[in-house]
Amino acid sequence: MSAKKWKGAAIATAAISAALASTAKAADALSLDELIAKIRDKNDKVRAEAMFGAGKVGARAVKPLAEVMATDADFEIARAARRAMWQIVRSVGRPGADRERKATVAELLPLVGEGRPAAVRREAMWMLSEIAGDEAVAPAAAVLKDKELREDARMVLQRLPGEKSLAALKAGLAAAPEDFKPNIASSLRARGVETPGIPNERRVPKKSTDVKPLDEAQLEKEKAAKTPRRRGNKQ
Amino acid sequence: MSGRLKLNRRRFLKTAGAAIAAPYFIPSRVFSAPGRPGANERVIVALIGAGGRGNSLTKEMKRSEIGHEAEIGAICDVDENRLRSSLRDYEAGVMPYRDYRYILERKDIDAVILGTPDHWHAVQTVHAAECGKHIYVEKPACCTIEEGKAMVKAVNNAKVACQVGSQGRSQREAYLAHRYLVNGNVGHISKVWCFHYASPADNNPVPDSDPPAELDWDFWLGPLRWRPYNRKYLPGSFRWMMESGGGQIRDRGAHVMSCAMWWMGADGTGPTEIEATNVRFPTQGVWDACIDMTVTYTFKNPDWVMIWDQKGDSLNPDAPRGEKRVAGEDEISREGYGAIYHGDKGTFTHWGGDGGTWAERKAREWVPPAGFKDVYKSPGHFEDWFEGIKSGAKTIMNIEAAVGVANLTVLGNLSAVLGRKIQWDQAKGEIVGDEEARRLMGRPQRYPYCL
Repeated sequence: MSAKKWKGAAIATAAISAALASTAKAADALSLDELIAKIRDKNDKVRAEAMFGAGKVGARAVKPLAEVMATDADFEIARAARRAMWQIVRSVGRPGADRERKATVAELLPLVGEGRPAAVRREAMWMLSEIAGDEAVAPAAAVLKDKELREDARMVLQRLPGEKSLAALKAGLAAAPEDFKPNIASSLRARGVETPGIPNERRVPKKSTDVKPLDEAQLEKEKAAKTPRRRGNKQ
Repeated sequence: MSGRLKLNRRRFLKTAGAAIAAPYFIPSRVFSAPGRPGANERVIVALIGAGGRGNSLTKEMKRSEIGHEAEIGAICDVDENRLRSSLRDYEAGVMPYRDYRYILERKDIDAVILGTPDHWHAVQTVHAAECGKHIYVEKPACCTIEEGKAMVKAVNNAKVACQVGSQGRSQREAYLAHRYLVNGNVGHISKVWCFHYASPADNNPVPDSDPPAELDWDFWLGPLRWRPYNRKYLPGSFRWMMESGGGQIRDRGAHVMSCAMWWMGADGTGPTEIEATNVRFPTQGVWDACIDMTVTYTFKNPDWVMIWDQKGDSLNPDAPRGEKRVAGEDEISREGYGAIYHGDKGTFTHWGGDGGTWAERKAREWVPPAGFKDVYKSPGHFEDWFEGIKSGAKTIMNIEAAVGVANLTVLGNLSAVLGRKIQWDQAKGEIVGDEEARRLMGRPQRYPYCL
């Protein structure tokens, strides 16, 4: 066999192997309907099968799972849907899965927008923070205007790499109300940008207690009283 | 270094001028060299995180050889009931706080003990160091790679003494084990198998709810991203949240793997590859730390592997049962975790690895020959910390070593969560070849609870 033919045969063999592997993977994967049905199951073991199998179903399951997360009245089913979405994100974030990653990012982006429940928007933003690039910057930056979610948006922009997210943080700082400027400035500092004139209050005490110190007499009285069971965990 | 300060002659001569004008309560910084108390001075300590563990730490400190040198000046907790009830364990007049930052502002406080949940360790260590306080912080040191780097930088910049609570290194039998191993009694060690039982699952999940009135939920969460309160998150059960406690690998791994890194002479080194297998996650509830997992850490130059193997309800089924002790010997009360060291001349087993560390009989009975290699014998974990405070000596579980161990646990969990191997560049302190994993080396923190 000539070198050229050998190379050709090797490529063909590799292609067949890849196709077989892909088929085997598909055979292992749940269908989308099966996935959603199992996520909605009352039995946690059945839900777990779906949760931990969601990565193989991939991007097309993102939106239906978000729907379950947003609408199912059973808190455990909603949690299972959220965890299944995370399984997809962690699966498509693996090296070499760029096409799957981009497809998942495309499904997550609309979930960040207004009109969705805050819990879904928050979760989608954090998912994007792990796997998205510049395409997530504008949707996250838009959330800086939302008082309930702006802190999450600010942190997500901090994590998204590149100049575009940095520019969005700078623009966000300029547009932010006074009470939120220190938050955005903290992200800029974390990204290596100086923010003169904006207070950094991370070490400024703000929260007072109503508990008062005990004097000798009070301490004696307290010690005489029965000691309640203390909660805690040994380290 | 308080109003009850006993001035020795040297100190009196040095500070007489200031003392004449001083009020009854004399802040430590009035007298001391910057941040470093003298040999005969009391160290004023504040407890931050007055829960079960925090309060037992102050008791351990008071019971230790340096107990008479320490005075508790303040306690702090974000749970008002806990704070109120903890006060009875201390002397009259101890100030209670919800916000640890008031404590950091107090010039008379020399040192802090951080008994808070793990997700607070890095932020509070960095803030305390920046304020010149010496630090005893519970293990594991950090929750992310970036937190660890910030802790090392802050502690070194401030030149404060930092002891991390992997107190296994300071146990008597840990010294015997260390000495036994470094003198080649099992030969060249190529594998350390760390065994532990599984993390728990939550079989009775509950919905999110409003936090109880006594708890400042915002402050408890601190640097973590916001989420609704759920009573399964705390107090001790933060341990089973991946973002905070991280499960058994981070809780006890920070003990057992601490011993391994110390005894293997591997502090400052790290693996090149980390792979979690046999991973089993909870199927319900808010606890998301791995129930079972096996993590293999591959070290190069020298070549060896460390395996963290976590499974079984109360005992890892593959682990050896605790060695029988004879009358008068310290009974093994924690046989559920430990490690086996595999050398080319034999094996060595220890159980525990934290405040209880038990070495196999052959190490305890080994009689060192002439010319043997001795190792550092800690006077006790708090004693060693105080030595660091007073002399500037490096503590036995210093921040660099502790971050190195915590990083192992962080990387093990990361491999489990991502479902793939992780490649690690120890020199750079970075994950390589995996963009998503690289982003997870850090996590943005809520303002103002940030590094």
